[in-house]
Amino acid sequence: MERILQRDSSALETLYDRYGRPVYSLVLRIAQHPSSAEEIVQDVFLQLWRSADRFQIARGPLEPWLFTMARNRALDFLRLKREKQRRREDSDSDVFPSAVFRPDPEGGIDEARRAERVRALMTSLPEAQRRAIELAFFEGMSHSEIAATMGEALGTVKSWIRGGLMRLREALEGARS
Amino acid sequence: MTCEQLASVYEEYALGVLEGEERAELEAHLTRVCPTCTSGVAEARVVVAQLAHAAPDAQPPAALRGKIMGAVKSSGDAATHVTSVERRRPAVQRPMFPPWAWIAAAALALLTGYTIRQMGSQNTQLAELRKEMRLATLQNQALQNQLETDRMVSSVMLSPGSMPLKLMPKDKNMPMVHAYVHPQMGVAITADQMPSLPSARTLQLWFVPKKGQPMSVAIFRPDTTGQIALVASFHMPMNEIAALAVTEEPAGGSPQPTAAPAWVAQVN
Repeated sequence: MERILQRDSSALETLYDRYGRPVYSLVLRIAQHPSSAEEIVQDVFLQLWRSADRFQIARGPLEPWLFTMARNRALDFLRLKREKQRRREDSDSDVFPSAVFRPDPEGGIDEARRAERVRALMTSLPEAQRRAIELAFFEGMSHSEIAATMGEALGTVKSWIRGGLMRLREALEGARS
Repeated sequence: MTCEQLASVYEEYALGVLEGEERAELEAHLTRVCPTCTSGVAEARVVVAQLAHAAPDAQPPAALRGKIMGAVKSSGDAATHVTSVERRRPAVQRPMFPPWAWIAAAALALLTGYTIRQMGSQNTQLAELRKEMRLATLQNQALQNQLETDRMVSSVMLSPGSMPLKLMPKDKNMPMVHAYVHPQMGVAITADQMPSLPSARTLQLWFVPKKGQPMSVAIFRPDTTGQIALVASFHMPMNEIAALAVTEEPAGGSPQPTAAPAWVAQVN
């Protein structure tokens, strides 16, 4: 970040090489549209370039900040898309690319370990609980929207999400130690 | 509701699922910069952000990197985006016009001129409105940034895991700088009544290890009221930090200190 503040564009390249893939994966999962995901990711990294000083004075670790900004922008896109009810028909070349779970070999050891923990946790959750958390994180739904979508009681959904998040926190604390 | 009661919903708030009374209660705590809830939600955001790793791995298009870097490199010179619209007119021989056509053309020219002037006036008004809107948006963003910064600083300052330090000034006329070092949340720096700096100069915070070169942690300037409030991350084990120091450096900072520390705090 120091180098970015000094307007060293190669520092942004380094950050992109490290975080571009997970950020793109996240945005694509939410936006479900490769060309929109591309625009959002570009916007996120340009924002990082333009607002490096703001990041430095306002935030802590970079990775969660990037993920949070990318998620917010992708969810904004999704909400706008839903609001306007303009679901476009994706062309064959524009479909969700084949998805595979694998750790990022370019990333740091800690990041790879955290990523593995998160994936392992999500895989270990019962299907309905995992679905509830995915609807919240990737679709931006609230408790009651998830309950309505899944046809489950509100209390059940709250309990699934709260339990899942507690396990996530424990898994990440385990990854840190 | 008390902070203890709200602690169980920090992650749900960060995830964005919380609704109703619990959400309103928590937001009320955050609005008044309740240190427990501010710190708790900040930590919860870090936890929740990790769910990003649950997204299926996808390779970004190879061209994306180039697009981003191209936009960055051209951002400093917007003038180069102006494209030449000059076109050469083809040498076409025009037919002769009858007199009535000249009159019609003159009337049309007058009407066009009037319309263009009207449009110009409307465009000016629109541009003014857009300018005001941009200004309001920027002001709003600046306030939000300030609020977020204050929240982050409060979180670090009030966290039980933070180590408070006083950076003593070399010049006795200068105010003291306070630092709060937290191994995970970063370092918060606060100061009041700081003198203003020339635009070509900046302050730079360094972590001085027991062995090796000082590590740059933050580049900053006092605001217009002479206050400093910032949080910056650092990557140095707590037990290896020998001192914190602030130096005055050229704008943009320096890779290593170029001046004697103006403020220092011994750590270990």
